[in-house]
Amino acid sequence: MKKFNQVKNLLLFFVLVNSSVSCASIKEYEKVNINDPDMELSQRQICRFETNFQLYREGSSGGNGGKVGGGCGCN
Amino acid sequence: MKKNVLLFLLLICGLSFSQDKVKDKVYKKRVLESIEIDFLTSYYNQEGNNASVTGGIGNEDLQDFSPTIVVSIPLSDDDVISLDLGISTYTSASSSNGNPFDAGTNSDKTSSPWYASSGASKVDTWKNLNVDYSNSSDDRNTIITANISSATEWDYESLGFGAGITKLFNNKNTSVSLSTKIYLDKWIPIYPKELDAYLDAEGNTNSGYFANKTIFNQQGLSTNKWSPLKGFGLINDKSRNTYSISFLFSQILTKNTQFAFFIDLIKQQGWLANPLQRVYFSDLDNFYIGNPSSISIYTSKLNKDVFHLADDIERLPSTRIKIPIGMRFNYFLNENLTLRSYYRYYYDDWGINSHTLNLELPVKLSDKFTFYPSYRFYSQSKSDYFEPYDKLLSSSKYYTSDYDLSTFNSNQLGFGLKYVDIFTKFKIWDVGLKSIDLNYSNYKRNSDFKSSIVSMAVKFIID
Repeated sequence: MKKFNQVKNLLLFFVLVNSSVSCASIKEYEKVNINDPDMELSQRQICRFETNFQLYREGSSGGNGGKVGGGCGCN
Repeated sequence: MKKNVLLFLLLICGLSFSQDKVKDKVYKKRVLESIEIDFLTSYYNQEGNNASVTGGIGNEDLQDFSPTIVVSIPLSDDDVISLDLGISTYTSASSSNGNPFDAGTNSDKTSSPWYASSGASKVDTWKNLNVDYSNSSDDRNTIITANISSATEWDYESLGFGAGITKLFNNKNTSVSLSTKIYLDKWIPIYPKELDAYLDAEGNTNSGYFANKTIFNQQGLSTNKWSPLKGFGLINDKSRNTYSISFLFSQILTKNTQFAFFIDLIKQQGWLANPLQRVYFSDLDNFYIGNPSSISIYTSKLNKDVFHLADDIERLPSTRIKIPIGMRFNYFLNENLTLRSYYRYYYDDWGINSHTLNLELPVKLSDKFTFYPSYRFYSQSKSDYFEPYDKLLSSSKYYTSDYDLSTFNSNQLGFGLKYVDIFTKFKIWDVGLKSIDLNYSNYKRNSDFKSSIVSMAVKFIID
């Protein structure tokens, strides 16, 4: 129950942060820096292999755009 | 006259309408301009002393080579299909000890947890195919995706499919995504050799596979009293399905800052333990095959020729709920430097809580080269069902000695170098080189486990 409350509080925190910032509006011509490939809000394509091994070698998975199933990691 | 005015107005309207259509067509940028081909490959190497196939002790040496090709094809201005075909070939000392009695250093060919045997499970190839499709609306504010995937390996088959929708609004400053993915996986179970043989011999340790083998007790005396845990049986549910829902919210905060928040809800169902992984109970007697004089040094790497017979395979609950939650935050510091950060908190109902922090600092060395060092910290608490080698209790309902489910933390350092030529000046016929990406990462746990991986990705564009 304590752990569930931790998740709930974290979720609430993110909802509050999201609500407070979601009014920002940057024009298209102002997005030069935002559109830089290094600013992408996803992991690099080349990191897919290490993410797969982390999925198998650690108890956690998900939340990174990587796969959440589809392999046993038996090795 | 009125007729002429009406015709003139209709003509004007018609022209304006057709011009609008032409205008729309002109300004509708293709989602993907041309065919892209990515060649990706990696070489992974790991070392450790807590192999789960041998109950939490033993050689974890593993090498894996994974070549992959990804082809993205624009079907129209709005539609893109991607084919992702990969294989992964590995050599594993741990998996080889599914059958440790077929090659070793002594006369009866018994190996130990510390040495790889030459069993069929030593090498394997994982084959994978993903097909992704995406459709973007005319205003590019709605993206619909669908995908299907298939994977096979020696003891496992997987079929996955999913769909998702992304909506952009607030002048594309805000986006919300919702996606779902389902994997319908199936075990082709491989069991530890002695347990499989025990069932084949119908419990008679003097016949069948055991006919020419001597079993020893902890004192090194010959005995035929070994048997797996009472009621031992093979797995009856071979399915292992995964259902996930992912929510992602991203927001541009300033001209130089953006962040994303995500939460996944994942449910797994079926046989979630690995039938090849042995467990040993502290409240049951120990029995061995091999050289009895090595029993006293069983847990030492000096042991080359005796093997502890399994009490059971690991057993875990048939359901698991996982909730990862976190965020990415990227900050464009200046033209040469960007900060990329990632944090994830993870919770599951097997007792594992974890924190993951990843920081990356891409440095633009020139307009074509970027160097990106990275650091990742990971920390997890153990599963409720984990205990080390020979520390589990036979009275428990669920048990495992898989150290991937133990308490540990890890540090990973990485370095990458990326070359990008947006004009694809280097060409062979109609194929232009767009980018080359090289990456190295070194991973170390606070236990006896470390690994490293070298990856390379090369992107070509077909004009």
